[in-house]
Amino acid sequence: MNIHTYEKVWLIAALLLIVGFIATITYGSVGLGIAMIDDSEETVEPSELDEDFGEPRVEHVGENEYEAYVIAQTFIFQPDPIEVPANSKVTFYVTSRDVIHSFSVVGTNINTMVIPGEVSTMTAEFDESGEYGIICNEYCGSFHHTMEGQLHVVPEDEFDMTELSVESDDEVELGNETTFNVAVENGMLDDLETTVTFEIGNETTEEEITVSGESTEETTFTVDSTELGEGDHDWTVTVDDYEESGTLTVVEDLEEEEENGGNNDE
Amino acid sequence: MSNAYIDKFPAEAKVVKAAFYSSFLALALGGVFGVIQTLHRTDIYRFIDSADYYTVLTAHGVFMVITFTIFFLVGVFTWAVTTSLDRGVEDIRFTWSWVGLMTIGTVMAGVAILAGFVDSIDISASVLFTFYAPLQAHPLFYLGLVLFVVGTWVAGADWFRSWWAWKKENPDARIPLPTFMVLTTMIMWYIATMGVATSILVFLLPWSLGWIETVNPLLTRTLFWFFGHPVVYFWLMPAYLLWYTMLPKFAGGKLFSDPLARVGFVLFLLLSTPVGIHHQYLDPGIAEGFKFIAMTNTMFLLLPSFLTAFTVVASIEHGARQRGGTGYFSWLKSLPWRDPVFAGMALAGLLFAAAGFSGMVNAGMNINYLVHNSLWVVGHFHLTVGTAVALTFMAVSYWFIPQVTGKELWNRSVALIQVVLWFIGMTFMTNSMHRAGLIGMPRRTAEPQYTGFEFETAVGSVGELNAQIALGGVLLTLSLVLFFANIIGTAFGSRSDNLPDNGYAEALSGSDDAPRVLDNLKLWTAIAVVLVIIAYSLPLMSIVDRGGLFGPDITAFPANLESVRFLAFAVEHLGTAALESAGTLAWNTLPEVIR
Ligand code: HEM
Ligand SMILES: [Cu+2]
Ligand SMILES: [Cu+2]
Repeated sequence: MNIHTYEKVWLIAALLLIVGFIATITYGSVGLGIAMIDDSEETVEPSELDEDFGEPRVEHVGENEYEAYVIAQTFIFQPDPIEVPANSKVTFYVTSRDVIHSFSVVGTNINTMVIPGEVSTMTAEFDESGEYGIICNEYCGSFHHTMEGQLHVVPEDEFDMTELSVESDDEVELGNETTFNVAVENGMLDDLETTVTFEIGNETTEEEITVSGESTEETTFTVDSTELGEGDHDWTVTVDDYEESGTLTVVEDLEEEEENGGNNDE
Repeated sequence: MSNAYIDKFPAEAKVVKAAFYSSFLALALGGVFGVIQTLHRTDIYRFIDSADYYTVLTAHGVFMVITFTIFFLVGVFTWAVTTSLDRGVEDIRFTWSWVGLMTIGTVMAGVAILAGFVDSIDISASVLFTFYAPLQAHPLFYLGLVLFVVGTWVAGADWFRSWWAWKKENPDARIPLPTFMVLTTMIMWYIATMGVATSILVFLLPWSLGWIETVNPLLTRTLFWFFGHPVVYFWLMPAYLLWYTMLPKFAGGKLFSDPLARVGFVLFLLLSTPVGIHHQYLDPGIAEGFKFIAMTNTMFLLLPSFLTAFTVVASIEHGARQRGGTGYFSWLKSLPWRDPVFAGMALAGLLFAAAGFSGMVNAGMNINYLVHNSLWVVGHFHLTVGTAVALTFMAVSYWFIPQVTGKELWNRSVALIQVVLWFIGMTFMTNSMHRAGLIGMPRRTAEPQYTGFEFETAVGSVGELNAQIALGGVLLTLSLVLFFANIIGTAFGSRSDNLPDNGYAEALSGSDDAPRVLDNLKLWTAIAVVLVIIAYSLPLMSIVDRGGLFGPDITAFPANLESVRFLAFAVEHLGTAALESAGTLAWNTLPEVIR
């Protein structure tokens, strides 16, 4: 077979180019460490994600390291928004409850297919705070175009993973005491030192607490209804930026009230 | 008396004409859907419900890249085999049988898709042309696809039959180049369609009929892409065939090298299939190593395209010099730019070169994070299949339609304007699609306007990008209108004796220069199969091992349709030997469903 000289030159140049491309991509993988989505995660059962995958959530797993467990389903992402601090390294674990979706953070190279039964993982570093849109770019049904979510990278000093919950009675009989059970959950690894502030009527009570990493601290505030007097009393519990509030009603006779109105808001 | 194809092969000319007309009908429908979705997603003009957008998109995808391209292919291939072997088909009834199968298949799939617009009919197939489970279509859709593919298999058998008969009479002759190209392409197709046939017959069809409960979404998706990459070469190969064997002729010269053309096609046969995983770079459940193998194979697949670029340009240059062209570049001026056939094919080639660049980006495994499923990809394949293939087909139709109808082209100036309009329209549309993709705008989305954030452009604005996409789409639609005007004008014309002769380009370096081993189709088939086994056996085993053959417990979307149960009943009744003869089966169920 006779090959024209120009054609030989062209072929060799083409081969060099091809080898060059492969080298570039290999450098991207090995040198820059751009890992591909792969099969490193165990499979999950889409109908039993609660067990296999757990709640959609963000976890603090190491200094400046977080894991986001995201569930895509027609036509939402959970959690929404996903919140992480700036200057952090976040590993996303994403799976689907139903059909194939994608998890694509617009303006970044975080982009993966989300296939039911499989978990996609990828790690990204966020140096600065900012807000990103998350979209699904794989057709997943009639309302595919409405499927979007948010990723909030908040300034480091504004970030926490505190959760506040309060359990209390709605009504109390005049003369009795009632208690407010306050639980402060700290999702971070480090201890959380903070103050719980309880206000009812004109009274303000404060309590310093320390919640160790990844645990919950409970504290109780006891209120004497005689001091409050009959009627409605608004209360609030505050921890840092979190607030819970409600109304306590002090009544003459609890039994009677219930028989008459029966309007317990439970 | 002229020496056109129809004069020599009147019976075959009817088949080729039928194939071309079917393909044009699909192109017309696809074009209507194309402009609807262009105006809809850019929010310039919306008159359909956004939920129906996906039915439109399914129809656009299927009619364009299954029906339009492949019907045209079978026409070109029939012409190529009969012309280059210089013999008619062995049995014209056999030939019509595959035309029939393909037509019925298209009608079935088309009915299933279009019924999605009509709420009162309980049939739909808005699953896009990739039909990823657990999205589920009506069984009619899958059956239609199967019949269509079976039709192409029978067509391939027809061409092999011609070649075997010819070989008996010409035991020592080289396979004529066009036939060689047809046969290697069909071997590639037989291998490639194993993937989609398995996916549909073993999993999706039984699942849509309710015979099996679940499927493994990653498995059916992988089987789809086993077929999905080579199918892009299936679209491209007839265009390559025309660039190698016809374009030099239209340019007034000869093919530069017959042996290298053969090498190119052999490389396509070997490398087209073991690369499909490059469409799954971002899929979980597939190890990085398998993706890497697909990536390297893909890069080497660039080689035959580089080869083609060289040979085609060299052949055109030869043509120009034959026409008196001189100089380094000024020979370009001596080309027959006023000939719509030449101009259209050359412009198609030009945009294909541009597509090469975005293709190289797509092939880059880790760069894929940036562009996967964005509008960039849509820009890319409107340059490849939407222009390199489609524009070549339209341009060459101006030569073919007179050949198979015996009528002169209605209007050459309109034809010239048409191909130039397509070029301009595609330049606008694809350039802005590439740019929109880079800012993260997704493909396959009815309303890429979100409530929670805005796309940020470095240059220009989202509005400007959308305007360009829409402008491109409108120009393309105009171009299509001119195309059909010309085809219809020609079809209603009267017979002419003044037609160019049928034939294809001779080669400067002919087949005598080609090593005989190139014609050893058995050898290449064996190597191709081995490469596919190497590339796919481990990934497939690992996918089945992870997710199970029938996957996890997930329901189909949308949930089972009423008529499915009816059809399942009908199918069970009509053929206990069900899939044994998909052909008759579909024949029988079709009226049931429509009733
Ligand atoms: C009038 C000319 C055309 C126009 C205006 C047009 C427009 C479009 C647009 C806007 C999309 C993107 C929709 C989306 O992802 O949301 C699209 C998708 C597509 N087009 Fe075209 N197109 C045209 C011609 C063609 C041709 C000639 C072909 C192939 C032969 C083609 C093949 C495709 C395919 C395969 C898709 C992807 C479908 C999917 O994602 O499932 N188009 N087209
Ligand atoms: Cu979606
Ligand atoms: Cu591909």
